[in-house]
Amino acid sequence: MDKNAQYRFLTHAGFRRFISGLIGGFVVYGTIKKDGFPAFGLITDSKDLVLAQTPTHLSAKEFFFPQRERLLKFDMASGSHSPIVESRDQVVIGLHPCDIHGLSLMDRVFSTGTIDVNYLARRERTIVIGADCMPDEYCFCESLGTMTIDNGFDLFLTEIKSGVLVSVGSEKGASTLTKYARPLPPKDVHLKELAKAWEKKKRSFKAKLDAPREELPGVYALSDAHPVWEKIGAVCYGCGSCNNVCPTCYCLDVRDEVKADLSGGERVRVWDGCTLEEFAKVAGDHNFRRSRANRLRHRFNRKFRYLSDKFGSLFCVGCGRCSRTCLVKINITEVTNELIRDGRAKDDALGIPAATRKG
Amino acid sequence: MTLSAYLPQRARVEKVSRLTDREKLFTVSVPAGFELRYSPGQFFMAGLPGFGEAPFSITSAYLSPGDTTFELGIREVGNLSAAIHRLVSGDSLWIRGPFGRGFDVSGFAGKDALFIAGGIGMVPMRSLIKTIAGQSAGNGYTVIYGAKTPEELLFRDEMEGWVEKGFDVKLTIDKPHPDWSGNVGVVTTLIPGVKFNPEKTLAVIIGPPVMYKFVIMSLKEKGLGPEAILLSLERRMKCGLGKCGHCQIHSSYVCQEGPVYSLSELKDMPEAL
Repeated sequence: MDKNAQYRFLTHAGFRRFISGLIGGFVVYGTIKKDGFPAFGLITDSKDLVLAQTPTHLSAKEFFFPQRERLLKFDMASGSHSPIVESRDQVVIGLHPCDIHGLSLMDRVFSTGTIDVNYLARRERTIVIGADCMPDEYCFCESLGTMTIDNGFDLFLTEIKSGVLVSVGSEKGASTLTKYARPLPPKDVHLKELAKAWEKKKRSFKAKLDAPREELPGVYALSDAHPVWEKIGAVCYGCGSCNNVCPTCYCLDVRDEVKADLSGGERVRVWDGCTLEEFAKVAGDHNFRRSRANRLRHRFNRKFRYLSDKFGSLFCVGCGRCSRTCLVKINITEVTNELIRDGRAKDDALGIPAATRKG
Repeated sequence: MTLSAYLPQRARVEKVSRLTDREKLFTVSVPAGFELRYSPGQFFMAGLPGFGEAPFSITSAYLSPGDTTFELGIREVGNLSAAIHRLVSGDSLWIRGPFGRGFDVSGFAGKDALFIAGGIGMVPMRSLIKTIAGQSAGNGYTVIYGAKTPEELLFRDEMEGWVEKGFDVKLTIDKPHPDWSGNVGVVTTLIPGVKFNPEKTLAVIIGPPVMYKFVIMSLKEKGLGPEAILLSLERRMKCGLGKCGHCQIHSSYVCQEGPVYSLSELKDMPEAL
């Protein structure tokens, strides 16, 4: 298929009309500037939407897997429980390719094994409109193959000088586009500008991993005893910010919230974080990951090894959010590169030929 | 549409008996239409509205199809277990499950076995012992069980029955006690005195986390291989569905692939023990 054939073109004015149309039909969230920083927010005016920027501090997971989500309602007198599955027709605009890769991984988590009806209901009723981006100093998606995206979105936007190029990723996307906009076929000059923007993006990465992504599970498998865990554990606050901002961190806690009059309440799930002290604690105060070093090792391994063992894909999408948000500047590319480098040094010392190395 | 996997079902507390100062035994019947079936080592998520849910090991044995009751042995430690301890017969307990991979009982056929339990680890161990006792004579079976004090030894009144079935039952308590004339010391102290053929013996370990390393060491000294050592691992669990992440050890979710593992399955998982 001719790759160019997928694109449609909207003028700036046409794009604003499209967004206004969406606002009329759905609850629309999108990327905005908040205190000067990119963030996802409610879009009530097409002017609020700001495309083509560096990653948002928080990922888009909130729209599919809210920080707090009601699961059940219960009545204390009768004891009866009734399920709550909340969803609404919504549009989320401005997910970058890494975010869409992250969302696809979340789709797999919540539809593998026991089906998670709460997540899937929200996912089903969401139109995902991706948008192209520019890397900042923390982005390293190029090293993980997540810089581009072919599927997992309904529409994908690239802002160019004269307007917005729209790539259609699903039938839902196609029908939404034709319902709310009058897209034009793109001109050659538009597509040339697109190709140029991609080239520029590719050249703009400062953070990179020093090994091909296929080697990363192997690198991590040989690094359980690496001193880097103690080193970063010694400075980590155990605050869980990295878990909060990560597009693929899905660990959760389940809690009961009871009304003040004790007549009933709700069972809710909330985001939890494996870097928090209580996360792996059991009765008798035994903590299976007592030290911050152990908890960080667990988190990093979840991204590069444990979940890839389980799902066949790395669970880091290279968005750099954990590094960007970390209060003590623990940096996921630097840590991984340290493991890569020391793994190679060990191989060199043992005289293992490069071709047969695991990582 | 698929129902929420978080929706519990109403079970009925049929009988409550006190085991010790801290533990009670609950006989629970499942609601109509609930097809009860479980293996030893599996657990239920049990809860009460307002108090949440937690994983509780099954202590009964599933011996005949059509059983509609099972037993949970629950220690009072927190808000939820305290609320469950206040239940009386006729009350409701809300359950989901059973979850997890239990013991493969057929693997015990033709083998001798050591059942090594510490403290509340006897709760799931009893399910295994009763299942095996219900299937074969126990001539090559030894139960090694320890607790802090004589009062804390669970199910002592049933052990005579196990002995009649051919089980050798060895008990120990951690420190000397005026009412105790038996062995004193941790469970590990009993292992050197047990004679078994490592070629045809399985060892099962269930107890507090601190117990595992030492018991494994003693068993290895007696020549037992890692594939012959079976363990049930305790972990924090919030969903039982392989999602919440609390029970994860490396790439394994204990609520799905555990809680029962062979030691050989844990060899590349240093965090497991």
